[in-house]
Amino acid sequence: MTRMMEARGIHKSYGPVRVLEDVDFDLEAGEAHVVIGPNGAGKTTLFRCLSGESRIDGGTITLAGEDITGLAGWQRVKRGIGRSFQVARIFPDMSAFENLIVAIETRERVDKGLKSTFGLVAPRAAVRGEAEDLVVELGLEGRLDEPASTLSHGDKKRLELAMSLALKPKLLMLDEPTAGMSQSDRAEAVRLIAQVREKYGLTLLLTEHDMEVVFGLATRLTVLHHGAIIASGEPHKVRADARVREVYLGQH
Amino acid sequence: MIDYRRRMRANLAIAVIGLVLFAVFPLVANSGLVFLAGLVAVNIVFGLSWNLLFSGVGLLSFGHAMFFAGGAYAMAVVSLRLPDLPFAGGLLLGAMTGGIIALVFGYIALRRASGVYFAVLTLAFSELVHIVITKTTFLGRNDGLVGIPRPVINLGVASIDLTSALAYYYFIIVAMAVVAFALWSFQNSPAGRLIQAIRQDPVRTAFLGTDVRSWQLTAFVLSGTIAAFCGAVMVPFAQIASPEIAYWTVSTEPILFTLLGGAGHFWGPAVGAILFGAIDYATRALYGLSEITVGMLLLGVVLLMPGGLLGFLLSRRTAARRLTGSGKRVPMANAEKAT
Amino acid sequence: MVDIGLTVFNGLAWGMATFLVAAGLTLIFGILHILNFAHGGFFMIGAYVAYSVMLAFGGTMPLWLYLVAAIAAGIAVGGMGWGVDKLILRRLRHVEDAYSLIATYALLLVCVGAVQLVWGLNYLSVMPPPALNSVVFLGDMFMPTYTIFIIACGILAFIGLEIFISHTEMGRLIRVVAADPWMAKLLGLNVRRIYLVTVVFSFALAGLAGGLLMANQSLSPELGGIFLLQAFGVVIVGGMGSIRGAFIAAILLGMIESFGTYFVPQYPGIFFLVALAVILLIKPEGIMGKEQTA
Repeated sequence: MTRMMEARGIHKSYGPVRVLEDVDFDLEAGEAHVVIGPNGAGKTTLFRCLSGESRIDGGTITLAGEDITGLAGWQRVKRGIGRSFQVARIFPDMSAFENLIVAIETRERVDKGLKSTFGLVAPRAAVRGEAEDLVVELGLEGRLDEPASTLSHGDKKRLELAMSLALKPKLLMLDEPTAGMSQSDRAEAVRLIAQVREKYGLTLLLTEHDMEVVFGLATRLTVLHHGAIIASGEPHKVRADARVREVYLGQH
Repeated sequence: MIDYRRRMRANLAIAVIGLVLFAVFPLVANSGLVFLAGLVAVNIVFGLSWNLLFSGVGLLSFGHAMFFAGGAYAMAVVSLRLPDLPFAGGLLLGAMTGGIIALVFGYIALRRASGVYFAVLTLAFSELVHIVITKTTFLGRNDGLVGIPRPVINLGVASIDLTSALAYYYFIIVAMAVVAFALWSFQNSPAGRLIQAIRQDPVRTAFLGTDVRSWQLTAFVLSGTIAAFCGAVMVPFAQIASPEIAYWTVSTEPILFTLLGGAGHFWGPAVGAILFGAIDYATRALYGLSEITVGMLLLGVVLLMPGGLLGFLLSRRTAARRLTGSGKRVPMANAEKAT
Repeated sequence: MVDIGLTVFNGLAWGMATFLVAAGLTLIFGILHILNFAHGGFFMIGAYVAYSVMLAFGGTMPLWLYLVAAIAAGIAVGGMGWGVDKLILRRLRHVEDAYSLIATYALLLVCVGAVQLVWGLNYLSVMPPPALNSVVFLGDMFMPTYTIFIIACGILAFIGLEIFISHTEMGRLIRVVAADPWMAKLLGLNVRRIYLVTVVFSFALAGLAGGLLMANQSLSPELGGIFLLQAFGVVIVGGMGSIRGAFIAAILLGMIESFGTYFVPQYPGIFFLVALAVILLIKPEGIMGKEQTA
C-alpha cells in the first residue's frame, strides 16, 4: 500500500487546554480508516487539523508525500481532499441542485482555471448532466428544487456527500457521517458510503460513534483517548486490545 | 429542474419595462423631475453594486461613498484638466480609480476584519477619503469642482452631442442599462453562483476548494469599480463634483435602497432606489420628513419584512398561487430567488 | 514646551469629549452586542433638549443651570431609551448583526429627521456659562476653562462608571448578563429588565453628554454623525464593551490625533482614522478585548 497521509508529532492546544499531544497518524491509500474515542478525546480536533480547518501548534502533515502542514483548507482540497462536517454544511438558500452545480463548477475552476468562471445564465449542459448523475446515484431525486435548508437531516447529509464526491477527491473525510440518524437511516448510509468508496476507489477517513457503522465500514481502526492514540490496527484486533477495553468498558 | 430560460425571460421583461418607463419619462415630466430620474437611474446601479457585496459575499460596506466620490472626482479632474481626452477615457479612468481604491483598502480590511469590524473599517476609510478631498486644493477643497462640461462624443463619421441635459439623461439610461445587464449576467455565471455560496456558508465554500478571501476581494474591487463608474457618469450630468458625495451619508444610500427593495432579489436595490427618490421628492417641502419616513420604513422592513418590499410582494404572490393552485408545481420562492 | 503641553491638553480634550459619547455606546455593546448607530442621534437630541431647557430659562445661564439642563437632557433621552428598547432593540436580539446595525442606522435617520422638524436646519450656537467662559494660564500656556470642565467631566464619568460596574449590585448583574445571558436566565435573573436598565442608562449617558458638550460648537442636524465615528473608533479600539478600554483608547486616540494635527496641520481628523485602521489590523479585538473564539 502507498501512504495517503502521514501526520507526525501533532500538537494542538485551545488556550491552556492541550487537546492533541504528539499524535502520529498514518493513512494508507485505499483503506477505510475510522477514528473512535470517548467524547472529548480529540477526534474532531484531529479531523480539523488534518483537513486544514484548524492550524496545528506543532508537527507535520504530508499528503501523498507532499508537505501540506502550512496549507489552508482550500489548498488541501485542491490537492485531493474532500470532507463533510458533523452538522452538514450546505448552502441553505440554494436548491439542492444548485448546491451540486456550485460544487462541480468549483472543481472545474480548480482543473481548468478561470476560463470556466464566466458564462451566461445557465450552467453548462455537461455540468448539469454530472449533477443529475450524482442526484440519481445518491438517491436525492424528488426535492431537488426546494431550498436546501428545507431538506431532512438525512438528505442534507446525503447532499453534502454528493458535493464532496463532485470534487472527485482521492481522500474523503467524513466527520460522524451518521450523527443524529435513525437506525434504518444508518444502515442505508453505511451501504451508500461503502458503495461510493468501491466505485470511486476512495480512501476514507471517518470519525464515528456508532459501533455498527464502525465495524460495517472500517478496514482499520484507531482509538484516541485524552488526545493520544492508544491503539491502531485491524478492527477485530483493536476490539480485543486490553487498553481499549479499559477505556471503553472500565475493565481491568 | 430550475427553468433557467424562464428566469432569463422574466428578468429581461423587467429590464425592458424599466427601460421603456425611463425612456418615456421626459415626455410627461418637467426638467427638474427628469434630472431626478437621471439620478435615480445612477442610484439603481450604485445600489446593485453594493448588493453584489452584501448579498454576494456577505460583506457589509459602510463606505461606498469613497468609490462613488473617487469615480466622480477622477472624471471631474479629467474633464477640467485634460479636455482633449475622449469622454470614454474619463469614464474608464473614473471606474479604475474606484477599483484601485477598493483594491488597496479591501486588501487591508479583509486581512483581519469581518462583520461589524469590516463595516466600521470601511466607514473610517471612506471618511479618510472625504477629509482628503475637503483639504486638497487640487480637488477644490470644500467648494468642490464646478463647471464640468458635458461631452460631444466623436465617432469619426458622426458625433453624438450630449451637451444638453436631456441628451445626457438618455446616455445615462443606456449606460446604466448596460452595466445592470452585465451585473445580472455576472450574478448568474459560475462566478456569481460561487459568490452567493460564499455568503451562505464561507466554510463550506472553502472546503470545496475556493480561496474565500481572494474572492471577497475580487467582489469588493468589482463593486468599487461599478460604484465609481456610477460617480463618473453622474458628474457631467450634475456638472459639479462636491465633497458631499464623499460624506458617509452617501455610503448609507445604497444600503437604504437595497434593504427597502429587498436584498434577496437582484432588482431589490432598483425598487428601493425608485422608492427612495419618490419619497425624497414627495417630502421635499418639509425638512426632516424625508429622513423620518425613510427611517421608519427601513425599521419596518428590518423588523417586519426582512425580505424587503420585493420579497414581501413576491412571497404574497407565491402564497396566493399556492392557495388557488394555479401555479405550477415547481416552487416559486426558490426559482425566483436572486434571479 | 508650551506647544507640547498644549498638544497634550488638546488631546485630552478630544479624548474626554469622545469618551463621554462612547461610554454609553460601549455599555450597550457589551451587553446587547449591538453597535448602536442611533447613539449619535440621541446624543444630538440631548444637546438640543438642553438648549431648549436653557432657552426656557431665558438663555443666560449660570453654571448650575447649565448642569440642570444637561441632567434634564439625560433624563429625557433616558426616557426615550425606554421606549426604544420596548419597541425596537428588544426585537433585534435574534436578528443578524448586519440587520441590527442597519436598524439602528434607521433609528439615527429618524432622530436626524426629528431634529430637523423640531429645531430646523439652522446652526444654533451656545456660549459656555460665564463661570466657564474664561482662560486659565499655566505659565505661557492658556487653557479655556470650559475645556478643563469637559476633561473633568470625562474623568468623573469614568470613575463613576467604574464604581457602578464594579461595586454596585446592578453593575454586578449587568456583568453577569453580559458574560452569559443564557446562564443568567437559568439562575432566575430577570434578563429582560437588566437589558432595559442598561439601555436606559446608556441613552441617559448619551443625553447627558449632549447637554455637557453643547457649548462651543454649532448645533446642527449633522452633529450626531460627527461624534459618532470618533466614538465608534474609541469603542472598537478599547475592546467592545469595556469601559476601561474605551477610556484608555479615548486618551490614546486623542493624543494621536492631537500630535498628528500639530505636525501636519493640513489634514486635521485624518490621524485618528489612520490610527483606527492600523490598530484594528494589528489587534482587531481591541486593547482590552478578549480574543474571539468563534
